[in-house]
Amino acid sequence: MKNLGKIGAELRRRNRKQYTLLSACLFFSVLLITAYVSIMRSPTVLDILPEGGDSRKMVMMIFALAAVGCGVFSIYSASLFFRYKSREAGIFLMLGASRGRISKQLFKEVMLTATGSCLAGALLGTPLAWCIWQLFRAFLVDTQEMKLSFDPQAYLIALAFTAGILVALFLMGRAFIRRTNLIDIVNQQHKSEPVHDVKPWFGPLGIVLMAAGGFAGYLAPTIMVRMLHTYQTGWTKLFYLPFFVGLYMVLIHTVVHGWRQGKSRYRNIASRSMMKFQGRQTVNNMLVLTVLIAGAYFATFNTPMMGTAQIMEMENRPVDYAFHYRADQNLPSRSEIEAMAAKDKVAVTGWKDAETAVLGSDGREEVSDGGGKFHFEYRKLGGECNCISESEYREMTGKAADVQPGRFAAVMSEESAGKMDSDDKTLLTNMTTRKSMSFGFQRSLRFGMMASPSYYVLDDADYAKITAGLAEEWCERLVCFNVKDELQTYDFAKELFHEIVNRSGPECEVDEDYDRVAKIAANEAGKAWWGDEHPEIMKVSYDQPDSSQFRIGWKYMPKFRVLDRNDMVREYAVYFMVFLFISIICFAAVLLIGYTRCVTIAVNNRRVYDDLRHLGAAPGYLFRSVRGQVSKTFGAPGLIGTVLIFAYFVMILFMNDSQITREEFSALAVCAGIALGLSIVLWAFYRFTLRRVCRMLKIN
Amino acid sequence: MLQVKNLRKSYRAGKTTYEILKGVNLAVAQGEFVAVMGPSGSGKTTLLNCISCYIPFDQGEITLGGQELKDLDEKSLAKVRNRKLGFVFQDFMLLDGLSVQDNILLPAIIGGNTGTAMEQRGNRLCDFFGIGQIRGKYPADISGGEKQRTAVARALINDPLLILADEPTGNLDSKSSRAVISSFEEARNKLSATVLMVTHDSFAASFCDRVILLKDGTVYGTLERKGKERGGFQDELLEKIKEMNGDAA
Repeated sequence: MKNLGKIGAELRRRNRKQYTLLSACLFFSVLLITAYVSIMRSPTVLDILPEGGDSRKMVMMIFALAAVGCGVFSIYSASLFFRYKSREAGIFLMLGASRGRISKQLFKEVMLTATGSCLAGALLGTPLAWCIWQLFRAFLVDTQEMKLSFDPQAYLIALAFTAGILVALFLMGRAFIRRTNLIDIVNQQHKSEPVHDVKPWFGPLGIVLMAAGGFAGYLAPTIMVRMLHTYQTGWTKLFYLPFFVGLYMVLIHTVVHGWRQGKSRYRNIASRSMMKFQGRQTVNNMLVLTVLIAGAYFATFNTPMMGTAQIMEMENRPVDYAFHYRADQNLPSRSEIEAMAAKDKVAVTGWKDAETAVLGSDGREEVSDGGGKFHFEYRKLGGECNCISESEYREMTGKAADVQPGRFAAVMSEESAGKMDSDDKTLLTNMTTRKSMSFGFQRSLRFGMMASPSYYVLDDADYAKITAGLAEEWCERLVCFNVKDELQTYDFAKELFHEIVNRSGPECEVDEDYDRVAKIAANEAGKAWWGDEHPEIMKVSYDQPDSSQFRIGWKYMPKFRVLDRNDMVREYAVYFMVFLFISIICFAAVLLIGYTRCVTIAVNNRRVYDDLRHLGAAPGYLFRSVRGQVSKTFGAPGLIGTVLIFAYFVMILFMNDSQITREEFSALAVCAGIALGLSIVLWAFYRFTLRRVCRMLKIN
Repeated sequence: MLQVKNLRKSYRAGKTTYEILKGVNLAVAQGEFVAVMGPSGSGKTTLLNCISCYIPFDQGEITLGGQELKDLDEKSLAKVRNRKLGFVFQDFMLLDGLSVQDNILLPAIIGGNTGTAMEQRGNRLCDFFGIGQIRGKYPADISGGEKQRTAVARALINDPLLILADEPTGNLDSKSSRAVISSFEEARNKLSATVLMVTHDSFAASFCDRVILLKDGTVYGTLERKGKERGGFQDELLEKIKEMNGDAA
């Protein structure tokens, strides 16, 4: 005769679908998180994303969203499993099995299933990440820096996530079995989880809260830094809280009332009531999907946002080739460059070169008071300032600057224009003679090649006066020229770039943030310059001139359009691929969670659909009712997530400089195109899921 | 066999407390077939759930076979449910993943009684209730009446002191209901079983030796069959129910 163990095995065999569902959900959750964390902690990626930088923060933030999403999804799948188990456990208890025995068996089953699935997910997560990365390398872009290496510590995070899930399952199981009312246990499977009815203003108020929370959360840190002079802004993230409350309210309103009034209210009454009576799990799932879709778009939009702006900046450059160098460096002369070009059958045209000077500029320095607080102190030698005479500027650009004596014009990018006004004064210092002169701001100028770093244009007499006696190491030359058939000159551009690197001295092997004036000033004051205290930020090396780190960071990096255009994807390969990888992981999680949720709609409502059929509902009505639920599961999060991220990006772009530039507008247009493409993918998957659910409910 | 004294049970919903059982007293003797009837909300199912210790009760005493149930710990309660009580539910409560035979044997398996003797007893019960030919089938493949007879056989497998049945004919057609009631009668007559059945159905109740009427959480009255013809007893029962509902002429 059978014993309890064999009965348990028989039940597991007959109900293997439930175990498979739990296993699959946990496996995929841990798989996706492990794959994500493998890439996030990979030295390949960490080398590219600077510590404390925005990109790394973004990756971490999306990881937090993905971890919360996958965690909630795992708990949801476990709750489905416990609901199924409730009837079985309840009957055993009613027939006289002791709680201890049932809980032992339940924990054994759940923990074996969960541990096996989670460990399999954790083990396969890194190989999955490796496979996706190799596909990127094979089909998209491959560079030396794309070679993927893994940090075993990533597994600690994956294991911590796994442990979190197992602990949650343990606590859920304990709460499940501890209930004293056996009737509650046995009926749990059929128990609805309705959300409370809400007033019609609930949804609109949610939208207001979302907008208010989004603004408050974004602006709070800036306000804290500017007004209270403190960097301790971590707690200001709490200002985002109304945003999440609002999002929850909007989703509840969507489930309870929908957004259409009038006749359709009655037309959708069946689907809406079904969603409402499983309201908590419906809203929770929609919330997770919304957050993950927003995270996926956030990662996806990062590349076009950066790429489009760069491409437009490149394409709008007024000259094909430009570079600047210290006058004390032995860089190729005009004749050498022309000879090099001739060898490569490149015709150099419109050669222009100008003398510029690096002067000291005064400014206000943030001085730390400790404990995250700071104050500003005036420094006569605040940092480097590139200056050019009015005539040299005219020679270079063909435009007159018309600068009055004692004034300066600043060459600025479109974004920076307007940041100075006529009251602004600057004190410039000759770093050799230490002679200083004060200049007032006169106007801003536009010339792409001299906007980053920004050049100050001075009256010729003023320029001669302030630069008199300036040592060669503080003088620079700026060279610009065009070429015929620019697109065919990549080899020449690369050769010239390498020649410039090879002939630059070790004193120029510095990052663009390296500031000699600030360093001298700090040293003269008997302090260490912050750049010396953070050598990891300042590292560029002549040994790897083709690395993205060198090309993005070198202070004297030439601007050769053909080189930048061709190598842009390579330079930013790791960066782009990391964000592409993240969006793939987030979207995979969205599809998985959405599909599982819709399948449970079919499982939970099978009886209701049978009843509707018995009441005479036509297949068309039943189909519309299923579509109403499935479309809301995918549609509402898809729409809200997309709108949210668009609104967020528009807000960031606008808040940066109180305008949306042409480059930014183009980037937004590219993002809209991508969102449209991804929405089509989401729609196709929704149709696939809808067909599956209809088949499960036998609706033609 | 079973004694219930001053049983009280209430539920809280929000800030409101609903008193369901307001001091119920009743007794069931060995070998009796007793029904509990009453309108919806009178506390019938709550009474049964308290006797079976599925839900805790607030006050009172329940004694089964001389054993007071209130002070028993969880382990002892499980033993009582397994050894001394048998259950039959309106929606059968069979495990879909087990065959009819395994469902019947489940209480014995839970009690650790897994010998061939128990298997033979299971077979005998199957034959006794006319479900021998479906013992290898699964609940999804059999009729409602067969499911309920399976549940009755399961309730009897451990030879309990008392069978508790909650609306056992509630989900059945008249033919199947008759078959289930016959199973209880036969269990009482041939296997000396004691049955306490909660029902709405005056036809089903008319087969019992005694009917306890419950109204608003208290015992309204008791009717005894005392050898009366079933039809006459049902008429008497219906009259009493009318009186209880305030409809009497």
